[in-house]
Amino acid sequence: MLKKVLVASILLSSSLFAHSAIMSCFDNGDGTITCEGGFSDGSSASGVKFRVEQDGKVVIEGRMSEDSEFTFERPSGKFSAVFDAGEGHQIHIRGRDIVE
Amino acid sequence: MKKIVLSTVVASAVLVSSAFAHFQLNFTPNSALEKGETVKIVQTFTHPFADEHTMDMAGIEEFYVINKGKKKCLKETLKPITFQGNANSGKGFATSYKAQRMGDHVMILVPKPYFEKKEDIYMQQITKTMINVAGVPTDWDTDFGLKAEIVPLTKPYAIWEGGSFTGIVKSNGEPVPFAGVEVGYLNRDVDVVNYKMGPDRFKAPQDSFVTMGIKADKNGVFTFALPAAGFWGFAALGVGSDTEHKGKELSQDAVIWVEAKKMERN
Repeated sequence: MLKKVLVASILLSSSLFAHSAIMSCFDNGDGTITCEGGFSDGSSASGVKFRVEQDGKVVIEGRMSEDSEFTFERPSGKFSAVFDAGEGHQIHIRGRDIVE
Repeated sequence: MKKIVLSTVVASAVLVSSAFAHFQLNFTPNSALEKGETVKIVQTFTHPFADEHTMDMAGIEEFYVINKGKKKCLKETLKPITFQGNANSGKGFATSYKAQRMGDHVMILVPKPYFEKKEDIYMQQITKTMINVAGVPTDWDTDFGLKAEIVPLTKPYAIWEGGSFTGIVKSNGEPVPFAGVEVGYLNRDVDVVNYKMGPDRFKAPQDSFVTMGIKADKNGVFTFALPAAGFWGFAALGVGSDTEHKGKELSQDAVIWVEAKKMERN
């Protein structure tokens, strides 16, 4: 029983720590922003949850495209872009840090 | 018969040694970027360790970058510059490039063949340099099937000082067994604003340390440890499929630049 538990936790930790989630966003200069998601081991972020939050509320929600990207209109005011690949794999980028 | 063989060997050894140590540089100051930014790029034909002579680049055949499999031509953005080495100045090129997207940006430079008067041959060094944005690997290990190419087995932008680099020497996608590879350390800072080389960082104890000659194995694979932080160039000489230019011998070489980073304490 103990053995089984150990194996499970090793597997779990290896899948959590072998790679990290990465997101990079830039302003396209036409009122839109593109966020690219990825993982440090090169695996695709296609289908990973993505959202834009404003004042704690979700204002845009979707999933990363086939090219692991999400493009949206830049909201006015403060906001953050969130790449949500599950627990320990969430990346937040503040709107003011997203430049051309 | 034995004598003839010997004299041929000596002659070819001399030939190799005099084309020695020429490295096409396609330089950008940092190959591992935290996030997307516009980077400066400087191209000069140099001797990276000793900087005893800067050659005039003959011009550009191709210059492009690949990111996530998409190719973008940068040739038209290049401006001719005069690059100042420690001994003399030479013709080079410069541009800037917006490395905006995440992942690897693999730059391929194919210069026009350079005429080496002393040897009466042409040289063409097909040069690969890459930048990574944000730590997501995308294109670094792609075999582009170039006429002369070093395909990395180690990410060229993710090597600690004291780490090693492994690559495969290829021509048109096929490994080149036992290819001769020259290794040159870029022994100075490169001023990408004033197009100028800085002073030497290290002294060589003897001439075999200035440009180090190593050989690939039977599969075209070589490994080299990088004892100091900075940029290291690897040049596989004469491995390309083009062997003649304007009626003269052409040495078509594969060059790759890699960067070792200092391991800084917190």
